[in-house]
Amino acid sequence: MKNKLMDISSAVEMINDGDTIGIGGNVLHRAPMALVREIARARKKGLHVIKTAGAMDVDLLCAANSVSSVSAGFVSYESEIGFCNFFRQAVQNGTVKGHEHACYTIISALRASAYGIPFMPVKGLQVSDLVDVNDYFTKIKDPFSDEQISVVKAIRPDVTIIHVQEADVYGNVKFYGPIYDDYTLVAASKKVVISAEKIVTFNIESKVDIPHLMVDAVVEVQNGAAPCSCATLYDIDISSIKAFRSANLEDYLNKYEKLDRRTVDNEQ
Amino acid sequence: MSNRISDIMVCAMARLIKNENTVFHGVSSHMPMIATMLAKATHAPDAVHLNIPGGVDPQTPNLRHYTSAGSELTDSSIASMPLSQIFDLSMRGGLDVAFLSGVQFDNRGNVNASVIGDYNKPKVKMPGGAGSAVLIPTVKTAIIWRTKHDIRTFVKKVDFVTTKGNVKYIITPLCIFKMYEGELILDFIHPTSNIDEIAANTEFDIRYIDIKYTPLPTLAEMNILNQIDPNDYRNIEFK
Repeated sequence: MKNKLMDISSAVEMINDGDTIGIGGNVLHRAPMALVREIARARKKGLHVIKTAGAMDVDLLCAANSVSSVSAGFVSYESEIGFCNFFRQAVQNGTVKGHEHACYTIISALRASAYGIPFMPVKGLQVSDLVDVNDYFTKIKDPFSDEQISVVKAIRPDVTIIHVQEADVYGNVKFYGPIYDDYTLVAASKKVVISAEKIVTFNIESKVDIPHLMVDAVVEVQNGAAPCSCATLYDIDISSIKAFRSANLEDYLNKYEKLDRRTVDNEQ
Repeated sequence: MSNRISDIMVCAMARLIKNENTVFHGVSSHMPMIATMLAKATHAPDAVHLNIPGGVDPQTPNLRHYTSAGSELTDSSIASMPLSQIFDLSMRGGLDVAFLSGVQFDNRGNVNASVIGDYNKPKVKMPGGAGSAVLIPTVKTAIIWRTKHDIRTFVKKVDFVTTKGNVKYIITPLCIFKMYEGELILDFIHPTSNIDEIAANTEFDIRYIDIKYTPLPTLAEMNILNQIDPNDYRNIEFK
């Protein structure tokens, strides 16, 4: 097994301007915020963001002008905090294209890539303007029954970023709590970058959730999902989320820089 | 008894769940989450509670104020079922009830959760329908809840059709609409409202077969609600 441990800046260097980026977690839960902040600090441009249900991750990348399009089923902080205003403004003024999906059509599009096929039939979507206005949906004739079926074009992220509780230096990964759509993202993507709260040593009893062969880079970042939640370890930091919504982005990123880059040196 | 709108709506949602129904709710969904738990604690003990993190029948979860999609729903559940598999269940006809929302509804059952104005140059970009576009056509009973009832929400024609399908009920702070022969008709009026108020706040014409009043939450329902939701998160959307 190859050692894939690296510092956060080197991991983010795997992302090129204009890449399609899959993001793990769901709304304010286990979003890879340290990697997202590092992408913003690296001033990446023109990214195509893929997520079933996004929140602060999508909003921060839009605030940093790193995004060209967002393909998602839902983008919002949940009820209490409200809309993702940076995302919303960017779509309304035309700087970001909002590719609206249903969460399940993101999953289906990722499954297509995971299965090595160009598109995926999707039930539902029988009556929806989404099919008419978006070139990633269309309807085709079922070759066996002649009935019409909606299909979604495959999405193949160049790089997927995921934050987890535990990984080893080889890229074996263990989740605690909900996995959300992370496994589908991993299977669909060309490259996978994992940030982990803790680098551990697994053994055959560990029965990891993602085996090392699916992963290309591992970064150790304690509190790497903060201010979003990370199951079993910490809940959201609502004051930090609210501060982001009104603060200057550079100041906000600077505040986290030391913490995000505090990588522990691991001997090879 | 309670005549608070959030309690009336949550109890009305709970009563629409039948025993043994498989029931799903998504993000930003405190009211349906609590309604599903209320139904399971009262008339529908064998209903199955499904949600975004995949907690199957969470037992006494310690609910959180900002989310209806966190690990509190898997911590105390028998299984953690990946979201993709819950959607798959609906696609093959195995989901009975889904609670969803949106920003505009018309009386033909069209739901808009996407944009106000033009899709490619939206005046207002909404969060998106999340699961709606595939769940509303595939779930047996889609129940919409919306905490705003005004003429910009209940319109003659939606700006954009995110989806249309098996919407059976829409629960608002004023009333309950139901689909009847392809048309949204007034089914129940909350005792806190009246038909004039509903008509004044609805752009499409109000039609009905007979006028019924929504039964108020009972003392027994309120006791259970206060146990499930001691911090009153069911009222979050009204704050």
